[in-house]
Amino acid sequence: MGPNGGGKSTLVRLLNGLLVPDSGEVAVAGHDPVTEPFEVRKRTGVLFQNPENGLVAPFVEDDVAFGLENLGVPREEMRRRVAEAIRSVGLSGYERREPHTLSGGEKQRVALAGLLAVEPEVLLLDEPTSMLDAPGRREVLRRIGGLRRSKTVLHVTHHLEELLEADRVLVINGGRLVAEVEPGRLMADAALLEENRLVPPTVPRLAADLGLGSCRTPEDLAGAVLRRVWEGSGAEIR
Amino acid sequence: MAPGAGRGTGQFYPADSPLHALDPRAKILAVAALVVGLFLVDSVAGFLAVGAALLCLVQVSRVPPSTFLRLLRPVAVIVAFTALFQVAFVREGEVVFGLWVFQAHSEGLRLAAHLALRILLLVAAAALLTATTPPLSLSDGIEDLLSPLKRFRFPAHEIAMMMTIALRFIPTLHEEARKIIMAQAARGADFTEGGLIQRVRALVPVLVPLTVGAFRRADELAEAMESRGYRGGEGRTRYRELSFRGRDATALCIAVLIPVGGILL
Amino acid sequence: MRISLEDVWHVYSPGTAFETVALRGVSLSVEPGEVLGIVGGTGSGKSTLAAHLNLLLRPTSGRVLVDGRDALALRKSELRRRVGLVFQFPEQALFAPSVEEDVAFAPRQMGLGPEAVEERTAAALGVLGIAHLARRPTRALSGGEQRRAAIAGTLAMRPQVLVLDEPTAGLDPFSRRELLGVVRRLREEGTSVVLVSHDLDEVAEVSDRLCVMEGGAVRAEGTPEEVFYGELALAPTTVRVAARVRESAPGLGRPVSYDETLRSLRALIGG
Ligand SMILES: Nc1ncnc2c1ncn2[C@@H]1O[C@H](COP(=O)(O)OP(=O)(O)OP(=O)(O)O)[C@@H](O)[C@H]1O
Ligand SMILES: Nc1ncnc2c1ncn2[C@@H]1O[C@H](COP(=O)(O)OP(=O)(O)OP(=O)(O)O)[C@@H](O)[C@H]1O
Ligand SMILES: [Mg+2]
Ligand SMILES: [Mg+2]
Repeated sequence: MGPNGGGKSTLVRLLNGLLVPDSGEVAVAGHDPVTEPFEVRKRTGVLFQNPENGLVAPFVEDDVAFGLENLGVPREEMRRRVAEAIRSVGLSGYERREPHTLSGGEKQRVALAGLLAVEPEVLLLDEPTSMLDAPGRREVLRRIGGLRRSKTVLHVTHHLEELLEADRVLVINGGRLVAEVEPGRLMADAALLEENRLVPPTVPRLAADLGLGSCRTPEDLAGAVLRRVWEGSGAEIR
Repeated sequence: MAPGAGRGTGQFYPADSPLHALDPRAKILAVAALVVGLFLVDSVAGFLAVGAALLCLVQVSRVPPSTFLRLLRPVAVIVAFTALFQVAFVREGEVVFGLWVFQAHSEGLRLAAHLALRILLLVAAAALLTATTPPLSLSDGIEDLLSPLKRFRFPAHEIAMMMTIALRFIPTLHEEARKIIMAQAARGADFTEGGLIQRVRALVPVLVPLTVGAFRRADELAEAMESRGYRGGEGRTRYRELSFRGRDATALCIAVLIPVGGILL
Repeated sequence: MRISLEDVWHVYSPGTAFETVALRGVSLSVEPGEVLGIVGGTGSGKSTLAAHLNLLLRPTSGRVLVDGRDALALRKSELRRRVGLVFQFPEQALFAPSVEEDVAFAPRQMGLGPEAVEERTAAALGVLGIAHLARRPTRALSGGEQRRAAIAGTLAMRPQVLVLDEPTAGLDPFSRRELLGVVRRLREEGTSVVLVSHDLDEVAEVSDRLCVMEGGAVRAEGTPEEVFYGELALAPTTVRVAARVRESAPGLGRPVSYDETLRSLRALIGG
């Protein structure tokens, strides 16, 4: 996370060898993305911040298949994985659509399907949900969550609530790594949030402003509010 | 942006027809046979027979004839010029009619008719191929047909991939131009108002960003391909299946017979 | 100015295999000086609808009226200056070599003198907080910086109606708040704003009225309070909390924005 212009997308491009560091070294699974780009790229998948930039083929299904073709996956398996990936992002029936005629959210889903079909060891996701509606966002987060034990996921986002389950949060500001914390610690650190132009999600923010303990879901918060109300009125009756 | 991203300008027209279902290699070979054959056809009747056969194929392809007409229109202009040129300058055979200082000789008319029909039929056949074959299958087909040459280190995959990208880049350029025009129109630029000169002048500020944009798109495309693990043909599999079956062989035979019929007539 | 759509249909690529019906008989209006929120799922037709407000797309059937007159009769360039549209993908909005030149494009098109152009450009860059990026090539910006440059380019036209298509996608949380502040300020100055977004929390903060799109048609329309409390599945976090509390404490009222919700919950707890 971090403010606009902080260097998040630059970092993603360095990890993939699309940018070359002026100094210092990058290693992905033990390989240098500059000298061994293919070793790195066959293990990583990138979702670009602008989903349009990642699309290469004239039809949706060919685009989703592109990464698999490059890995030399046999055709039968490829068909299965492409169909499954398209279905999992809710785009069944769009196989023969031309990507440039899709809506913003649909493009983002196609780009994501191309990545999910490959399921690389390392996923570099640059704001993967920026154009999705609420159900789409939930679905994508669920998929990413499902990968967490077996894959490495680098998830860039401006929505703190998407990182509540993350193992670590890196905060990048002005081209520097300014913090590396657990999501819970980040949310509790008002100064750190403020310095990095971050705002906690609505539920914990309301809870804090009301002086209630930590809450996750709207239901939790409503429960906490009601308990406080009942306590208050109970005290009065007594 | 979704809005206005009009129908892609690629010539492929998806439909569910026997021609669409054919193996792209069969179709490429058929067109090649037709091209060779057309150079051997030597009578107007022969050309008309080939033309009639192509018309049947258009019918079978379920592609609306208007799509072909749109493709043929620009070619027709060139053909008309060439034919006129022939009529005006070939001075063999009898004079059929005269107009002012020009005289149309029978040989000139014959040559003009042959030339015009030949070019139109060639273009129509090529259009039928691209309308019924998705660009990717087309390049897969070409790669496969060229693959025997790989033994001599002929870069079949690279050539086919270049063709795909070129085929894809025409619509991409179109798209890029459309985006810039939309972006400028949204900020008050006039493209549809005023006389011809004013409209052409309004297009000038589009050209510079278009040129820059085309190079940027090419870069982005290369980056996207590389970052998704592309590194040439080696070890690569194909999503689209090419399988040459009985019906493809039959279709190819029929396609070869068309110009043969034309030659015999 | 008032824009209204009457039974607007939009079909992409009609008559081809790619035919898609994106709008199915949409009727709605944008009243002078209001903030109209447009929400709806992926592919529901929001961007298509937005592009009809300045006729960048033409209805396949139905009409777009500006102050009661058919908008097709107006000069296109004039209409587009009065109705400023910012695209969903900021990269598509930027075409000039530098940020400054890009933002100056519209004022120049309007035939303003060099001083006025400069004044408007500087003002727009200032409002979006990107004065320091004026000389940057438009291709050397981060995602969020591109977004701000694109909005500045439209703001420099000083439109009477500003249509923002997912304007906060890619902005950091503070910038999102700042942009909502800009929207409020514009409304105070009498500009209408159409805010297309899938982020219900932010729509709840600034909208006077809401329109919910589904499958190319208007599914619900009304004040945020009516729409959100009418259908909780569409509601932002604040309303979901408040609605849950109301089940046991009906005296809560129907707060929508963050501040309203905080105030009424405080009153409830305190009293
Ligand atoms: N092609 C480029 N040339 C020069 N400078 C660039 C280029 N791309 C980005 N920058 C600058 O580098 C810095 C980091 O940009 P980067 O895109 O990594 O930011 P980011 O953290 O991804 O921001 P955002 O949240 O807005 O996407 C920014 O100040 C940006 O202006
Ligand atoms: N140029 C086009 N050609 C064909 N269909 C299109 C085109 N542009 C959009 N569509 C289709 O029209 C429908 C509405 O698209 P639109 O872009 O208006 O959706 P949206 O509500 O803005 O979605 P999102 O939230 O994903 O941006 C979608 O199903 C889309 O696939
Ligand atoms: Mg970025
Ligand atoms: Mg949209």
